[in-house]
Amino acid sequence: MTLQGTPLDETPVLSTPVGPRRRFFAWVTTVAMGIIGIGLAIPLIGYVVGPALKRREALWNEIGPIDRLRTGEPEEVEFVNSVKDGWRQATVKKVVWAIKQSADTVVVFSPICPHLGCGYRWDGDEKKFKCPCHGSVYAVTGKVLAGPAPRPLDVLPSKVEQGRLWVKYQQFKSGLDHPVEL
Amino acid sequence: MAQTLYDWLDTRLKLQPLGHTLLDEPIPGGASWIYVFGSATLFLFCLQATTGMFLALYYVPSPDSAYDTVQFIQHDVTFGWFVRGLHHWGASAVMVAIGLHLLQVYLYGAYKRPHELMWMVGVGLLLLMLTFGFTGYLLPWDQNAYWATQVGTNMVASVPLVGDVLVRLLRGGETLGALTLSRFFALHTLFLPALIVGGILLHLFILRRVGPAGPWNVEEARQRNETFYPRQVYMDAVVMVGIFLALVALAGTIEFPLADRADPADHTFTPIPEWYFLFFYQLLKYMSGPLEPLATWILPIVFVIGLLLLPFLDRNQDRRPRSRPVAVLTGVFFLVIMFTLLGISIRDLRAMPKLDPSVARGKALFAQHHCLTCHTLHGEGGKVGPDLSYVGNRRPDREWHIRHLRDPASVSPGSIMPKFPLSDREINDLAGYLLTLKGGSAPPPVTTSEVDYIASRSAPAACRSLVCVDQNHWKGYL
Repeated sequence: MTLQGTPLDETPVLSTPVGPRRRFFAWVTTVAMGIIGIGLAIPLIGYVVGPALKRREALWNEIGPIDRLRTGEPEEVEFVNSVKDGWRQATVKKVVWAIKQSADTVVVFSPICPHLGCGYRWDGDEKKFKCPCHGSVYAVTGKVLAGPAPRPLDVLPSKVEQGRLWVKYQQFKSGLDHPVEL
Repeated sequence: MAQTLYDWLDTRLKLQPLGHTLLDEPIPGGASWIYVFGSATLFLFCLQATTGMFLALYYVPSPDSAYDTVQFIQHDVTFGWFVRGLHHWGASAVMVAIGLHLLQVYLYGAYKRPHELMWMVGVGLLLLMLTFGFTGYLLPWDQNAYWATQVGTNMVASVPLVGDVLVRLLRGGETLGALTLSRFFALHTLFLPALIVGGILLHLFILRRVGPAGPWNVEEARQRNETFYPRQVYMDAVVMVGIFLALVALAGTIEFPLADRADPADHTFTPIPEWYFLFFYQLLKYMSGPLEPLATWILPIVFVIGLLLLPFLDRNQDRRPRSRPVAVLTGVFFLVIMFTLLGISIRDLRAMPKLDPSVARGKALFAQHHCLTCHTLHGEGGKVGPDLSYVGNRRPDREWHIRHLRDPASVSPGSIMPKFPLSDREINDLAGYLLTLKGGSAPPPVTTSEVDYIASRSAPAACRSLVCVDQNHWKGYL
């Protein structure tokens, strides 16, 4: 870039470095700006995406004594789920379906229909889970009997310790033919 | 590639004349390392704006959350310590840059005709930056922030007639609290940036209309003119990258600590203002009683008015320092007073008994984990665990505390105290704090062990109160 400066009345000479000198100044300027730019961009991108990509760790939640549950009969059970939500520890009430199989085994289903995420119900007369939104029907084992549901009901990790039921609350992507944790 | 893109844009946007206007501005007397302070200040302001915007991603200006979110930024967010460190050190650096910029303009007489307006806008910008510092200091909502702002706002209250109204407006009420924090936050992040961006643009607009002042020797300025680009740009860029690397080094090596969470009930805390207010803080110590209003508002107002009107008070057109003995001596006199006060203040602060930072962190952990729910400290707290008021006398062995905190049952079999998920450093800090809990005259060591102590309480009651403490800490322990 050559200088086609307009002559200024009071200033006789307007000089500007040319050739290799000019290129050296331009080069140093570019490098300096590059160092600042990259030195800021990398940490700032990490700063923004860091918490977004961090997986919340699901904790074991105690639900209660299992002798309250009737064998083979699905029961909607409430518990308080504690999750780390950013800087705060949040507690939310959650509900799951628990079906006692024997004295010490319980199957726990996520309360979310795997089709599009509605809440489904237990029909005590027909002995089936039914989703009111799009008509998916599931057996007590979670198997799909009818409707658009792409996969069986999602089973949550659970355990029985000293007669008390514990569960890990997880959420899954809807619409897939196999469960994928969110 | 870059050239092709530039050409494409140039044919559409006519960039050439724009580049010429921006970059080929004449610098009287040529480029100089002396002229970098203005651009250094601008660079630091942009850095503060950038880091500040990113801090706002996680910060919440409420007394319930502010401290927690700052802790979250510092310890949990990727590079959070870096962004916070840069913003903290950048705040100090911008004050240094402004100080040097002001000094250079003063020494060169660059405030004289035709630069009077530029100087006055500059003084306005200086006041805005000081307000930035003052409002930003409260935001972490730690002890230092709370008590320093308490002092700062009380000074406003001493202004005659309007002081009471002013201080209420500033605090959003009678006391410093939620409304103070939210208005300081809004000032710091919304009102002041809008004002200062306008001010900076005006400052630069005037600069381009009247041109830089150049060297004080008029002959020198007349002989040579140099374009702004590339040499002055290169000098500015080198200084900017130097400042940036220095700030990165500071942010990486010196963690700016958070004091304890703000506690309006704790009157033992001695607040310390930011260093750029220290000389003023020291001055206040000498101006007690009837002299106090002089220091708290008369002197600052006279100083600011004097600074604003400087170009009209100093009517000497000669800019060479040698021909302006009064102005130069006044400047030197001011600097000597300021640095003397700053020096005395720093010396006094160093002499003040200081809490070991590790002990301070331990104390914060003690509060954070709600240890007082079970333990008693000087009459306050729960009765489930042993009284810790003088635990340092009773158990002077650090190793014991460390083993105990790591796994209470290993040294006190049957202890119901849970294992807290603490890092080794945190355990060491907490043990350090426990060791400082000593009585002046040591009470006799307690003979009953912790086990006996707990056994003497009814276990169900103990458990019940444990459960109610904080669901999260105790989850999985019971």
